[in-house]
Amino acid sequence: MGALADESMFAWFGKRIKSKDSTSVFLLAPLAAFELVFFVVPFLILVRMSLNSQPETGFYETGWTLAAYGDILGSNLYQQMILFSFKLGVIATVVAVVLALFYAYAAYRAEGLTKSILLFSIILPLLTTLVVKTYAWRPLLAPNGVLNDFLLSLELIGSRIQFAPSLFGTVVGQVYIVFPYAVLAIYSVLSTLDWDVVEAARDLGASRPRSFFEVVLPEVLPGVAVATVVSFAWSVGAYAAPSQLGTGSQTTFAMEIGNLMLTNFNWPVGAAFAILMLAAMLAASLAVIRLLTGSIGGVQDV
Amino acid sequence: MASVTLADLTKEYGDLTAVDGLDLDVDDGELLCLLGPSGCGKSTTLRMLGGLETPTDGDVYIGDERVTDEPPYERDTSMVFQSWALFPHKSVLENVAFGLKMDGVDEAERNERARDVLEVVEMSEFVDADPEDLSGGQKQRVALARSLAIEPDVLLLDEPLSNLDKRLREQMQLELRNIHDEVETTFVHVTHDQNEAFTLADSIAIMNDGDVEQVGEPREVYDDPVSLFVEEFLGDTNLVDARVQSHIDGGVVAATEFDEEIEVPTPGGHVEAGDPLTISFRPEELDVSRVAADGGQSADPAEAGDVTTALEGTVTDVLYRGSSVRFYVQIGETSVFFEQSVGDKTDFEVDDSVVVSWDPEDLLVFSEGERLGRGGT
Ligand SMILES: Nc1ncnc2c1ncn2[C@@H]1O[C@H](COP(=O)(O)OP(=O)(O)O)[C@@H](O)[C@H]1O
Ligand SMILES: [Mg+2]
Repeated sequence: MGALADESMFAWFGKRIKSKDSTSVFLLAPLAAFELVFFVVPFLILVRMSLNSQPETGFYETGWTLAAYGDILGSNLYQQMILFSFKLGVIATVVAVVLALFYAYAAYRAEGLTKSILLFSIILPLLTTLVVKTYAWRPLLAPNGVLNDFLLSLELIGSRIQFAPSLFGTVVGQVYIVFPYAVLAIYSVLSTLDWDVVEAARDLGASRPRSFFEVVLPEVLPGVAVATVVSFAWSVGAYAAPSQLGTGSQTTFAMEIGNLMLTNFNWPVGAAFAILMLAAMLAASLAVIRLLTGSIGGVQDV
Repeated sequence: MASVTLADLTKEYGDLTAVDGLDLDVDDGELLCLLGPSGCGKSTTLRMLGGLETPTDGDVYIGDERVTDEPPYERDTSMVFQSWALFPHKSVLENVAFGLKMDGVDEAERNERARDVLEVVEMSEFVDADPEDLSGGQKQRVALARSLAIEPDVLLLDEPLSNLDKRLREQMQLELRNIHDEVETTFVHVTHDQNEAFTLADSIAIMNDGDVEQVGEPREVYDDPVSLFVEEFLGDTNLVDARVQSHIDGGVVAATEFDEEIEVPTPGGHVEAGDPLTISFRPEELDVSRVAADGGQSADPAEAGDVTTALEGTVTDVLYRGSSVRFYVQIGETSVFFEQSVGDKTDFEVDDSVVVSWDPEDLLVFSEGERLGRGGT
């Protein structure tokens, strides 16, 4: 059966190469090699590592055991971390996607210089290192920071508030990280929307909000789905924002994996944790796509 | 049903004045065509009428109501877009029922009414289709049905036929006329195609550079253009430059590009010697006959008596244009054309010497773009 599979795979390759679009195979080849070396192989190593046993001293001991998985699923602390990671993922995603929807819509409607500025200011943060731009929020949100000074001067607050480190700071930081990607995902779909269609809806009696929900939203839903999955996957696995803008209670599993690997030198548990979370996020992302694509059909039926 | 009044309507985009102090009245139940070249401000005018654009100045009245600042969803107008703008995620039926849904009509009733309208535009069999699967002509019908379904006071059409091929376009023109007769709604139809305007319109408003040049029934506008712009835009004609030489009874003698002086009637016109004129010789008003070999005229002698003016020229080109043939005749420094139906008795050939004659009463004379002696006929 193996031979048969190989044969048909080669046949597939041969047909590909013979057919006119053979160039695409050659263009894909380096990418495939890259994926193999830097993603598939490390992942297999990770799987193997998660099955090793944990010695008293040293990183790991070669073996075949599911002990690491058992340790994680049995740990109350880890369950808390996982729960928090998903909570952060949901909050940051909802905030980022809703804001991105407004922002993308504003950019879509803007013209000339305003449009360029709106789009450019989305690209600009992508040019800075994640750690630097996340860290930059600290002096802004700290108790003696700029935001507190500002709110105090306006007498909106009576005493200084610790915006960071806190859950608030963590969410702000994480939203800031994923926001540009969410905007770009939504904007790219929105930019294909024919404005005449929105005008037609208004002309036929739909108010502004109504025309948005009736014709704009169904059109951008695929973009919203992509924005949601990207924001969610990234935020569940958040590392930079919670470690720089959060307190100890904002510890995500990603931070804990870092600890296990680099500080506690417990590689099997670290690896098992990574694989479990990868599987969980994959399932969650598929569910999100399913939900949003499903509701596209739902909107159609309205 | 309602009349429409546009008063001193103006729209500026930065430095550009798209619509410039436009006044226009459309009668209740009338089909008015806004006709003009591309970029003259037709769409902008229509969009201000529908509330999709806010005027910089001036007012829009529908019936007796001033609606200048009303948003589109508060107005009883409906627009058929050039791109048709069908809702991509809705079926044909949902598209057509959309306006009724926004009005709060319950589902059973709005679907029934949408089906009725789809029947009017002969799209009943496509009720459940996805609009993206339809042909241009079908999309156009759905767009029309969608606007008709809400029974608007005024239906606005922005070149909805311009994306169709010629045959379909001509068929749709007739159907639009019939639908207009059926629904008795006021239609304002924008087009840059004079044939379309003549086919459709109860009344034509010719626009130029952000303002209306002339409004009237098609025949009236054609027979009695107020300006050189209207004359040029409404159809192919021969425009000949001339210069006033001297005054005679009821007109002037003018030197022309024909290298001959001719008599031109200028009833009520105030022109001075030396003034430039433009004279329109409409091809259908020209009489042409072959010059006989002996130099005399072979034309019917009975007609010769009526001929006030005639000039000799040479046929330079013969163009076959389907059912008609167009002949170009060189006279002096310029050339004029006239047309004959294929199979007409006389056939001219290149290099034939011909006599071109006309009745001065049929000449349209323009000075500085304005028609001289307008209404004198
Ligand atoms: N939104 C706009 N912004 C700037 N200029 C515009 C806009 N819409 C139309 N114009 C300009 O106004 C003029 C009239 O346009 P339009 O009304 O579309 O003409 P038409 O429909 O007769 O072809 C054109 O010069 C066009 O470029
Ligand atoms: Mg236009």
